[in-house]
Amino acid sequence: MANTVIGSSITIDGEISGDEDLVIQGTVKGKISLKESLFVEASASVEADIEVQNVEITGKVTGNIAATDKVELKADCRVVGDVRAPRILIADGASFKGNVDMDVKER
Amino acid sequence: MAATKDFSTTGESTIIGPSILINGKLSGDEDLTVRGRVEGELSLTKTLIVEPSGIVKANVQVRNAIISGVVVGNISATESVELTREGRMVGDINSPRVIIVDGASFRGRVDMGNAEPRPASERPAQRQAPVSRPVVRSPIAAPARPVATVVARPPVKPQPPAAPVIPSKAPVAAPAKAPVIPSKAEANKPAPPPPPQPVLVGEAGKKKVLLKKKK
Repeated sequence: MANTVIGSSITIDGEISGDEDLVIQGTVKGKISLKESLFVEASASVEADIEVQNVEITGKVTGNIAATDKVELKADCRVVGDVRAPRILIADGASFKGNVDMDVKER
Repeated sequence: MAATKDFSTTGESTIIGPSILINGKLSGDEDLTVRGRVEGELSLTKTLIVEPSGIVKANVQVRNAIISGVVVGNISATESVELTREGRMVGDINSPRVIIVDGASFRGRVDMGNAEPRPASERPAQRQAPVSRPVVRSPIAAPARPVATVVARPPVKPQPPAAPVIPSKAPVAAPAKAPVIPSKAEANKPAPPPPPQPVLVGEAGKKKVLLKKKK
């Protein structure tokens, strides 16, 4: 039940790494690498290169995203950067600019 | 401890989970609970809670800090710093209120700032007692004064080397010493006159007097 939350008033400038789910409601700049899922919520602003298993984005992300499993761009999200993952979902209403690469050999 | 907290209220507090490592600058306006690792710089306008599994290697600026885990670095708090039983810390603490509980481990300096009107009469009195200051001073200072005054004065007055040093201090020192000496040792009474005499006459007068004595 490990759960990490970066609250909405928090600003992190640097690297975040870990083996558990991470929920971002605040601001993160730098780099994020997780072996689990990342949730970028609506209030969040992320300027970072992201390496995770899964990522679900409702907020704003600037940076390259590489997921070993899935990237999900929800409605109202704003993403600028390249996305690389075997599964990429872009919902209606999502804003996205960048390259998509699903040609990742997984499983 | 707080592991059973509901995450439904996560909007108002931040939690760094046990397997998370954050390396860099972290700042914010809400409570922060660290169960993992934070390295770099940490500044909050509210409370930092370092849980037993938490490790913070950072310079920390917060309002309150409650440390049950490990902190390596300096903490500057505007209100209070508390080291709990499980807390371990190496670094300096700068905070008006510092609480170190029995069982806590700490190495570093503590600065509670200038004595405030309220704490000065209450808290510092309790805390300063165990501190080594009064203990250290009393054994050194107490024997030093009586021994030094009794032993040092008699030889100083007749000795020639003291002459050049005295002239500047003598006018002030002479009257102060005079009442002390007769009470402790009456035998030294004849001694006091010599120092004032050379002072009034000047260095030249002293040298002449000393030379005469030697001859």
